[in-house]
Amino acid sequence: MIVPIGPIHPALKEPARLKLKTKGERVISAEIDLGFVHRGIERIMEGKPWQKGIYLSERVCGICSYVHTQTFAETFEKISGVQAPLRAQYLRVITNELDRIQSHLLANSTFFKSVEHETLFMYMLKMREPIMDAIELLTGNRVNMGWNIVGGVRMDAKDEHLQKIHEIILKLEKEFDTYYGMYAEGPFLRLRSNKVGRMSKKEAIEGRAVGPIGRGSGIKKDYRKSHHTYKDNFDFKVIWRKDGDNFARNMNRFDEIPESIKILKQAIENIPSGDTRIPVEIGRGYGEWINEAPRGEVRYMVETNGNLIKNISIRTPSIMNIDCCARYMLNDAMTVSDAIATYASVDPCIACAERVIVTNEKNEKIKIYL
Amino acid sequence: MLDSLKDVIRKSSIHVCLINTGGCNGCDIEVVALLSPRYDLEQYGIYVHNNPREADVLLITGPVTEQWKENLRRIYTKTPEPKIVVTLGSCPVSGDVFNQEGGCVYAPVSDFIPVDAEVPGCPPRPSEILESILSVAPGAIATKGRQRK
Repeated sequence: MIVPIGPIHPALKEPARLKLKTKGERVISAEIDLGFVHRGIERIMEGKPWQKGIYLSERVCGICSYVHTQTFAETFEKISGVQAPLRAQYLRVITNELDRIQSHLLANSTFFKSVEHETLFMYMLKMREPIMDAIELLTGNRVNMGWNIVGGVRMDAKDEHLQKIHEIILKLEKEFDTYYGMYAEGPFLRLRSNKVGRMSKKEAIEGRAVGPIGRGSGIKKDYRKSHHTYKDNFDFKVIWRKDGDNFARNMNRFDEIPESIKILKQAIENIPSGDTRIPVEIGRGYGEWINEAPRGEVRYMVETNGNLIKNISIRTPSIMNIDCCARYMLNDAMTVSDAIATYASVDPCIACAERVIVTNEKNEKIKIYL
Repeated sequence: MLDSLKDVIRKSSIHVCLINTGGCNGCDIEVVALLSPRYDLEQYGIYVHNNPREADVLLITGPVTEQWKENLRRIYTKTPEPKIVVTLGSCPVSGDVFNQEGGCVYAPVSDFIPVDAEVPGCPPRPSEILESILSVAPGAIATKGRQRK
């Protein structure tokens, strides 16, 4: 029997269609249909200056909206052969890590909701609100911040704001240990998530799993380690586990929060003074940039003619992770409710995943937009 | 007598279904933030459960994409009376940035289904969403319920 779930369903936040092939209560295989929120952002961006492009790139996804603008700006900086001033780079790191913390807390809260643990769901959202306050204090908005531009960041941060953010993260650090313990040592939650939705390292490599999902299966890859700002100035370690089940993925996200707090403390302590933006003359040509979004690698491939965007392609982490979920995690013996919990543990972001595929690049007349 | 009793009950128990018709998730996570202990949506008798068959309020976020043109009407007809529609964000009002050459969106939402209230913003703050639902929903549900009779 095939159990259809979605696109509008109590278990899902975003429109996607899960088709679970079941035999009794067991799920044999699964299929995930996308295409409900495709807006054609790449097509709109073509032939527009970067000022309009960065505005659109922020609206690729609402949860990880920050990292998209940073990657867009850094791609253009690479094409133009400049680097943002060091103070701007530090401010980018601060915002990026705050964004990562709130995204991980939201992802874990969705998982707890899907296994019907309302208490931890509420605790996660309670921890998340002060972080949103910190983001609002720094950038002026809660979700779509409009904070990055090519050549730096839009505004300078005052010392008192940074001090306030430091207080907020110290408070978070205290709260965090309690709720972390509730999940790491709670027997019932462990029963629901341990050894459920397994993906081995070989399968993860085959399916190109990225981010906390890939690291939960043993792929030790974090693109922050190869980013110039993080590599030169910050000391942190890559979190990974080898189990590859729901528990490992959630714990991976939990364990990354103290690392982000560590980076934030270093950034606020050592932030240099100076300019926050420099004028940039946009170069010609093709450039690529990879950043570590909360869900994994996000890659921008841009071609410009000095002023306008000629061609752009965005690769987001959710595409690979959702595919891995359908292909490897859900074709195991488990119940339908476990299948939904596994789907939530992958942290799917459907708005991210609906991207353009350009086929036949050489012949410019034939392009297929999905 | 029965009418006034129904009014009281309808006002204090509002079931909300969230429909993302192609938005960027920004409005959706602001609705999730409403569930947090800081805003605590359920103290006002509002309950978000994403099931159109038992909803009183349809919260719509996003411009209408190709897939949603028919499905949005279908969901609207499946929702029981009395029902009201509240749209969140700039997308359902005008299509926002997506309503340009090359984009495949069919804004506004009011072309497809009748809309009772609109909350512009990209995205609106959680307190604004809460205020708009509370200001429009209880009264509108009560009057619509009586009209149908």
